[in-house]
Amino acid sequence: MSSKATIYSFLFLGLAVTALLIVAPVVYAVSLSFYQMDSFVGAPKWAGLDNYTRMLSQWVFWRALINGFIYSFGTIIFQVVLGIGFALVLNQVFPGRNIVRGLSILPYLLPTVVVVLTFKWMVDGSIGVLTTMMSALGLPQVQWFESPGAAMASVILVSVWMWTPFVTTTFLAALQTVPSSLYEAAKVDGTNAVQRFFHITLPMLKPILTVIVLLRAVWMFNKFDVIWLLTQGGPVGATEHLAILSYKQAFGQFDIGGGAAVATISFAILSLVVFIYFRLFPLDTE
Amino acid sequence: MTRSSPRSLAGRVALYAAAALIAVYSAFPIYWMVVSSTRAPQALINSTSLLPGPFTWEYYTNLLELTDYPSQFLNSLIVAAVTVVVTMVFSIMIAYAVTRHRIRGKGIIVGAMLYAYMFPPLLIAIPMFSIFAKLGLGDTLTSVIVSHLTLTLPLGVWFLWGFFKSMPFELEEAAMVDGCTRLGAFLRVVLPLSLPGLITVAIFSFLLSWTDYTYALIMIGSDANKTVPVGLASMVGSFDLRWGEIMAGSTLIALPLFGAFALLSQYFIQGLGAGAVKG
Repeated sequence: MSSKATIYSFLFLGLAVTALLIVAPVVYAVSLSFYQMDSFVGAPKWAGLDNYTRMLSQWVFWRALINGFIYSFGTIIFQVVLGIGFALVLNQVFPGRNIVRGLSILPYLLPTVVVVLTFKWMVDGSIGVLTTMMSALGLPQVQWFESPGAAMASVILVSVWMWTPFVTTTFLAALQTVPSSLYEAAKVDGTNAVQRFFHITLPMLKPILTVIVLLRAVWMFNKFDVIWLLTQGGPVGATEHLAILSYKQAFGQFDIGGGAAVATISFAILSLVVFIYFRLFPLDTE
Repeated sequence: MTRSSPRSLAGRVALYAAAALIAVYSAFPIYWMVVSSTRAPQALINSTSLLPGPFTWEYYTNLLELTDYPSQFLNSLIVAAVTVVVTMVFSIMIAYAVTRHRIRGKGIIVGAMLYAYMFPPLLIAIPMFSIFAKLGLGDTLTSVIVSHLTLTLPLGVWFLWGFFKSMPFELEEAAMVDGCTRLGAFLRVVLPLSLPGLITVAIFSFLLSWTDYTYALIMIGSDANKTVPVGLASMVGSFDLRWGEIMAGSTLIALPLFGAFALLSQYFIQGLGAGAVKG
């Protein structure tokens, strides 16, 4: 086979696979949002913008949107702050450092199901280890999933535990790229560790931090499994965000058009947020 | 230690305390999962001891003998293995074509792949479910594998794109001057040299597929075809809650991941730094 033929056959396959797996489903999903369908095998009826007006006129939609923002902001802030803090500690020299570094990544490897089930077991009403520990310490009983506020806090807590290691690991790797001469010079100038962090480390790592925050924001906004497994969006919709709403519409009520419309809207919002974000924090690396 | 000033005692104590806190925070739930999965039933309900024991294997034997867990474990293995192989084959070809030739269409592929990072899961799951239902392939492992590919392929192409880009053209040109065809140069020179990148892609594809709950939940209806994450989650909803068995099942899904991580942690960390992401 000639050189050109090899490359072109690779490229053709690439285009075909991309079209089939990535482009086609999304185009199909968007087109479904303009049809009315009561079952996945039934005949679609053209509905124009009905699905959109119907979803947008329901307050459940707006509640889901707000919940999604609360969940994403809450999880991102804690992940980033904790992750940076962990990375700074793990960047120091101490005996057993590699073991602690390894342990700090483990939560990220676990399947969501495992994390959620273990958490539920740990906070189980009377015999969970966290429950008994907290009552031994004299702390009040927490109803983790009963009240709206507590349910949202639980969902955020579990998510932060799972996804902090991503921030820790990427930030720790980035810390290695800051030249130590900068710190030495700053030390000579009589700065303290906090000043060095805010005036050297953070500015140097701003590009990578920009990417980390964006990636985390996108993934957290789209997160479905952890919330579904913990609360199914409850109690009374307190943790229901757009992904859960879309799932419930399409697979719970068999309102496929409505579910597709919600998924399309959430993708549009995400694209818009990413666009604005890059306007605010342009990547100055090429 | 390269730092010039020796730490004060108070500083060292604070550092060790912080490190210990990170270790306990990260590892305790995992430790507790394993401890619970081996603790005898009476103690599981009554004991407040944080140390392991009294031991039992009964949850494991129950799980393996009385439930669908073994066959679901096999389903998960099949799905993950096929996903990894297909991802590798296509992402290698696409990434190579995209980096090695100035051709139209390459922007579309890379752009689509990057955009696919942002797809809400339901934006893929709804049309996939509908398509597979119409094809009569609903509730099959194939449908799960195809939906996993929408996650793993963008990751593979994106990561290998960066990897191949940094590899000099001269390598293949030298091989081609020596009489290799383009394909031969690719197979004998480029692929072996990209092994670290390929391993990273394999790890993350496996991780994404093995840990996925969302797509398997939507695509699979019957107990026999469930993957372990979905099978295990549905055990919680059943009439009597058996925490011992559930923790045993959780341990068995997590262990292969920890084993792989212990062996391959360098690739894993390298991949995270270069934009290979799981959720």
